[in-house]
Amino acid sequence: MHAPTSRGASSRTPHVPSGSASRGKRMRLKSNLTAYAFLAPFLAIFAIFLAFPVFYSLFLALHRVPADSFDIFGGLEFVGLANFAKLLADVRFWWSVLMTLYYAGLIIPSGIAVSLALALLLNNRLRGVAAYRSAFFMPYVLDMLVVGIVWTLIYSPHVGVLVRILENFGITTFSERGFLGTPASAMPSVVLANVLKGAGFGMILYLSAIQNIPPSLYEAAAIDGATRWQRFRRITLPLVKPITFFMIIIGTISALNAFVEVYAMTGGGPNVDVGGRALGATWVTGYYVFDTFYNQFRLGYAAAMSYVLLALTLVVTFLNRRFLRAEV
Amino acid sequence: MSAKARETMRKSIVYFGLTVAGAVVLFPFFWMVVTAFKEPGHAFTAEILPSKPTLDNFRRVLADYGFARYFANSVVVASVAAFFATLFATLAGYAFAKKEFVGRDKLFGFLLASLMIPGMMYVVPQFAIINKLGWMNTYRAMIVPHLANVFGLFLMRQYMTTIPSELLDAARIDGAGEWQVFRTIMVPLSVPIIATLFLLTFQFHWNNFLWQLIVTNVERLYTVPVGLAMFKSAHEELYTLKMAGSCISVLPIAALFFFAQRYFIEGMTMGAVKG
Repeated sequence: MHAPTSRGASSRTPHVPSGSASRGKRMRLKSNLTAYAFLAPFLAIFAIFLAFPVFYSLFLALHRVPADSFDIFGGLEFVGLANFAKLLADVRFWWSVLMTLYYAGLIIPSGIAVSLALALLLNNRLRGVAAYRSAFFMPYVLDMLVVGIVWTLIYSPHVGVLVRILENFGITTFSERGFLGTPASAMPSVVLANVLKGAGFGMILYLSAIQNIPPSLYEAAAIDGATRWQRFRRITLPLVKPITFFMIIIGTISALNAFVEVYAMTGGGPNVDVGGRALGATWVTGYYVFDTFYNQFRLGYAAAMSYVLLALTLVVTFLNRRFLRAEV
Repeated sequence: MSAKARETMRKSIVYFGLTVAGAVVLFPFFWMVVTAFKEPGHAFTAEILPSKPTLDNFRRVLADYGFARYFANSVVVASVAAFFATLFATLAGYAFAKKEFVGRDKLFGFLLASLMIPGMMYVVPQFAIINKLGWMNTYRAMIVPHLANVFGLFLMRQYMTTIPSELLDAARIDGAGEWQVFRTIMVPLSVPIIATLFLLTFQFHWNNFLWQLIVTNVERLYTVPVGLAMFKSAHEELYTLKMAGSCISVLPIAALFFFAQRYFIEGMTMGAVKG
């Protein structure tokens, strides 16, 4: 995982561009050296803080890291695959995988639907459309933590506006524990907050894909008597499919990474009773990794879990490519 | 119905849809702002707009709860990090776009592949490294690990490849050294993408909550999101104050977005469309 050094690289260079052999070689060496000089700061940071950690994480996963020790480089007890074995038997872990799938299953389709709907609304040559586009996109650049905190207020049972509105209609289901404290509504509520925040991104992608569709296709279909819905179903949808695949892939990756939204809104809760065990209704794997690491300080176990996350990401990406791409 | 009437009808439906969607999407921010202006401790009142709007919440979070300090920390961390992340990506992007060197395409593919790795993966080992370096509770712990921005590098390379190499060669023939070529030809021609990347990295670091939480545990180094998270757990019910803190937290990015939205939107979606 280290960048080839320019010295080792130049000696392997087969061709000499022009002039005498040694001069050409020297030119090559110099050109390689300058290129790597420009790359050096980036590659140094990349090697230390991105490449090395991936391997170091595996090292941690194979060791037991004492909870009271801060010297996590030396004197660790090698435990082999024990952390992974423990993980396989950890109900809370499998529950977190299930919750992550649930989260992904809610957020990906609803995110796609909302993004596409907004894009279709914007795909009209009307005055003021640009202002709407900005308004829809803006929440995407803002901090998830803040958005989550604002939604905890909106969803709150005591001071939340949504509960009050429902009470006016005689619905008191959420009056006691709020939307985030009621197990059945907790995950959908987290998803709603997130979809409204993030839809602007997919919207822009869909909008540019839709605007790239030749108008002649729609005109021909209209002449053939296709209804508006048929034109959408038979022309627009198939032609924006690449964006949909992209949305599924990044939706999956972000679900596997989901953390801040859960931290801000539910802390993994509220607990539900599953076969005598209290398990969190929003206990996604990303949050479990954080909890294991930050609250319990079990670094080896957290590292093992993050490796499983990586494996899941690769599997899901591969499956997506394999099965979804095949249909394009 | 005449064609014209039908068109008017259609337009009204679209405007109605756009307005409803806009109201829903922006509602949380609207609610955040109105709550922040309500009297401290009165997060829910029957009226939607506060009858006696007050700046008390802002004054209290800034002065009594340390948000002025957190804000300064966020400004320092996000600006310094954005500057160096942009600089490093510009340098490396230039090498990838305009230089021949051994292992170039393999290296680039390798860097791009790293984008697939879930961010959670880095948290534990990065923490271990920072700890070993003795960097806990420093600005550099918050900044340095995120200075190699692969997505930014990708944007840079894409943009710089479109700049004609003849311009660089002409400068070289005139006797310009490598650094001069970069500094006087490449950088001025890449200003739009450099500005874009600066904004995106500034935004990233302003919102880089999880990492900032992990490497700081002393209050004087809290950034705004970390301060907000700590405040959240410490003062469960003080929503008016929390909303004032939230306003302070999103204001800089919202303002940047207002003035430079084209850069944000293009920069954030460019990679997706081309990649």
